[in-house]
Amino acid sequence: MRNPLYKRLSREFKSDFGKYLVIFLFIAGLIALVSGFLVADNSMIAAYNEGFEKYNIENGNFELMLEADDELIDALEQEGVTIYDQYYVDETVKENDSTMRVYRNREKINLPCLMEGRMPEQADEIAIDRMYADNNEIAVGDSITLGGNQLTVTGLVALPDYSCLFENNTDMMFDSLTFCVAVMTDEGFESLGEDHLHYVYAWKYDEEPADEREEKEVSDDFMKVIAENAVITNFIPRYANQAIQFTGEDMGGDKAMFILFLYIVVVIIAFVFAITTSNTIAEEASVIGTLRASGYTRGELIRHYLISPLLVTLLAAVVGNILGYTVLKEYMVGLYYGSYSLPTYETLWNGEAFVETTVVPFVLMLVINLTILVSKLKLSPLKFLRHDLSKRTKKKAFRLNTKIPFLTRFRLRIIFQNIPNYITLLIGIMFASLIMVFGMMFGPLLEDYSKEIDASMFADYQYVLKAQIDTKAEGAEKYCVTTLQTTTEKYPTEDIMVYGIEDGSDYVDIDFKEGEVHVSDGYMIKYGLKDGDSITLKDKYSDDIYEFTVAGEYEYPAALAVFLPRREFNEIFDKKEDYYSGYLSDKELDDIEDAYISTIITQEDLTKISRQLTVSMGDFMVLFEYFGIVMFLLLMYLLSKQIIEKNAGAISMVKILGYSNGEIGGLYIVATTVAVVVSLFLSMPVCNYVLRWLFSGYLYTVISGYFPYMVSNTIYVKIIIYGIVSYAVVAATQMFKIGRIPKSDALKNVE
Amino acid sequence: MFLEIKGIKKHFGEGESRVEVLNGIDIEIERGEICVLLGPSGSGKSTLLNIIGGIDNADTGYISIAGEKTAEMNEKRLTQYRRKHLGYVFQMYNLIPNLNIKENVEVGAYLSDNPLEIDELLKVLGLYEHRHKLPNQLSGGQQQRTAIGRAIIKNPDILLCDEPTGALDYKTSKEILKLIEEVNQKYGNTVIIVTHNDAIKNMADRVIKLRDGMVRKNYVNESKIPAAELEW
Repeated sequence: MRNPLYKRLSREFKSDFGKYLVIFLFIAGLIALVSGFLVADNSMIAAYNEGFEKYNIENGNFELMLEADDELIDALEQEGVTIYDQYYVDETVKENDSTMRVYRNREKINLPCLMEGRMPEQADEIAIDRMYADNNEIAVGDSITLGGNQLTVTGLVALPDYSCLFENNTDMMFDSLTFCVAVMTDEGFESLGEDHLHYVYAWKYDEEPADEREEKEVSDDFMKVIAENAVITNFIPRYANQAIQFTGEDMGGDKAMFILFLYIVVVIIAFVFAITTSNTIAEEASVIGTLRASGYTRGELIRHYLISPLLVTLLAAVVGNILGYTVLKEYMVGLYYGSYSLPTYETLWNGEAFVETTVVPFVLMLVINLTILVSKLKLSPLKFLRHDLSKRTKKKAFRLNTKIPFLTRFRLRIIFQNIPNYITLLIGIMFASLIMVFGMMFGPLLEDYSKEIDASMFADYQYVLKAQIDTKAEGAEKYCVTTLQTTTEKYPTEDIMVYGIEDGSDYVDIDFKEGEVHVSDGYMIKYGLKDGDSITLKDKYSDDIYEFTVAGEYEYPAALAVFLPRREFNEIFDKKEDYYSGYLSDKELDDIEDAYISTIITQEDLTKISRQLTVSMGDFMVLFEYFGIVMFLLLMYLLSKQIIEKNAGAISMVKILGYSNGEIGGLYIVATTVAVVVSLFLSMPVCNYVLRWLFSGYLYTVISGYFPYMVSNTIYVKIIIYGIVSYAVVAATQMFKIGRIPKSDALKNVE
Repeated sequence: MFLEIKGIKKHFGEGESRVEVLNGIDIEIERGEICVLLGPSGSGKSTLLNIIGGIDNADTGYISIAGEKTAEMNEKRLTQYRRKHLGYVFQMYNLIPNLNIKENVEVGAYLSDNPLEIDELLKVLGLYEHRHKLPNQLSGGQQQRTAIGRAIIKNPDILLCDEPTGALDYKTSKEILKLIEEVNQKYGNTVIIVTHNDAIKNMADRVIKLRDGMVRKNYVNESKIPAAELEW
């Protein structure tokens, strides 16, 4: 015979439809989101990984000052590599002032993936990066002006060596708004001229290194060979190429975050369910006692009470996964295509996503509810029959000072009676607030960060030259710059800009002491440096090590940088006394020919991180904000509903005694209001602490460079207001509920 | 002897608040008897019933049912013992509010490998017409009938009734007692009724009076009358 208790389920779902529906929708929505993300992530990662072979991605590339002749290429190929020309020209797109890096159409290496349209066939045709085109609303058939040439966009492509649009490998963030890669026919490429031509060569190993360690050794050796034979200006092995690697690493990182997010929310919901079940057990104590006395085993009752949470979770997982594989996957893929220049993909069945979004939430729900049920149903049948559900032998009511007004004492008793509800509410509010702060902090943060960068720029123009050339421009000041790398193990190796500044500089206001350096504020904070500390940096292309003593901080949030006098710079790096790398100037230098200029760093370049993050994270952040509000509403609704239902008998009784609905609301609703407000205020410092920890413990380990932790106080105020408004909505529904509790309840249920 | 209660002692509390609730109870009850346990509040009658029912433990002594001693059983076996041998009826009906009358009775039937025929029992209980109603649609007497039905459907060896009429009026109480008697006659279960209503002793085969945790009287009722003729 089937256990007749199961017949209760459908009626239970029906009678508490609101509760089950909101939980179902919430879990289903959450699972849909995560499942959609995981499926998209998995499919995109597969497409990305397959791309290495499919599009024959390079093992690395290097740039030479001068074009390599056949002899040099032959000599380098003796090292077990095949070399391919990957010359490019950086030109400005006239229409929007962005930089377009144009390559010849590739046929052997780094093959383009055509996403839309066709490849260029004429000299005045160009195929450009699909994501840049999306971000700048350029469509196939549109015209762009590049270096004075009017070109027609014939196709949108993804170049596999630029799945992430890093203009320079040292950039802190990619830039899909003002930087683009493109391909043209040979003829078209030639027409762009040689002023901005870069002699870049890609290589492929004849025999792939066995692992990353071997790859590093081989590439280090190869770099030394190039350096012995030519003037090398850039060297990027594939494993260190952000434009190739960042996408894969970032996709993996997001995955862990999403899964963790799902688990935390499921655990909170599991506790909500457990509290609901605990209250049901308290209500049904006599029935449970009778059933146990009649011979029902504890296991039978545990199974019975487990069914609703597990069934809701399972159904939500099924619906969530269906939505995840369909609607949400498309949305997530859109987010990826909004950030990365990925090739076309195929949706793959993801067994891991099934486990993460169905099995694990189910198991979490099972374990938490089972643990609480086992503990709750451990009591003897007699205890249930006597409604004595305390595990302690004697339950003493603690005293409250009678000087406290009666109604306050009443409210305090309600709060103490519902401590588990309020603890769950507190944890839920903390988590929802955390998600909301996270969702809301980046907009203002990026804005402030841009302003800070703007305010702390040395000069409006920072020229980096290919060769030393004098300028007659007034106010131009020579400076030196080179890039070293960190050696600490705390964070992955990253680039540090080392600047040699003129004594008494008009642009960098530092009072240098002999033998000491100043470091940028971001470097100080990220690496926890103090005045007097010693820092050890290494040369990128050799084994040379440099030690510096920190004399002070210089406000320059745009980069991790070290500043020292130019003369000391030239001594340390073995340069001639009058060596310089470029000019700092507040005006454009008209008397330097383009051919001598390697790059010009402007405010646009330094603030691209904030622009890019706004574009690629904007949608995610709005999602977080909404999610937080929904979670506020859900938890407040479920837990305050519980409190009212649990006290229905008492509410009915005080109604009989003559209390009005308003007065009763003043007791029960105000108690929960106090808990909500206290939870909201407690959550804010906790969020601040956790996010600060996340920044230093996680974010800084995955991003190169520095990104300040800043949360504007208005965000906290906004979240508290959101919380209070959400609760006001819930409180109104609970007031309605109080009004509907009949006076007869108190009389009916007295035993 | 079918039910043997030997040397049962039980106390509650410790130190100054220690109360000896049962002070060495020795009772023997034959199969199929209706036994009424009488006594004032605090006499220990409900505690004794709970020990017989295996939902409370004695400090010393034992209960033996058809040769099986409950004290020697672990928690799991005790549950099986209750499942197999006992039916419980309490003063409050403790029905499951969102199961209808028939389903509430099925809750008891589920525990037995060989339950009674459910519709037939509902007819005996006078509940057949109400079988699709929920408990809150019935009177107290009808709800108590349902509780009896839930206890009896598995055809237990012993039916334990703790103040089964405590919450009912005179007329309904008599109907319930008549039903218990009918069930006893029809199915041959041993019935133990705990009550403080002295009149109920008249329908019993055996009457046991408790006071201060001790058996003050234990006799076979030679002048047993049908429940329908009880007066109080």
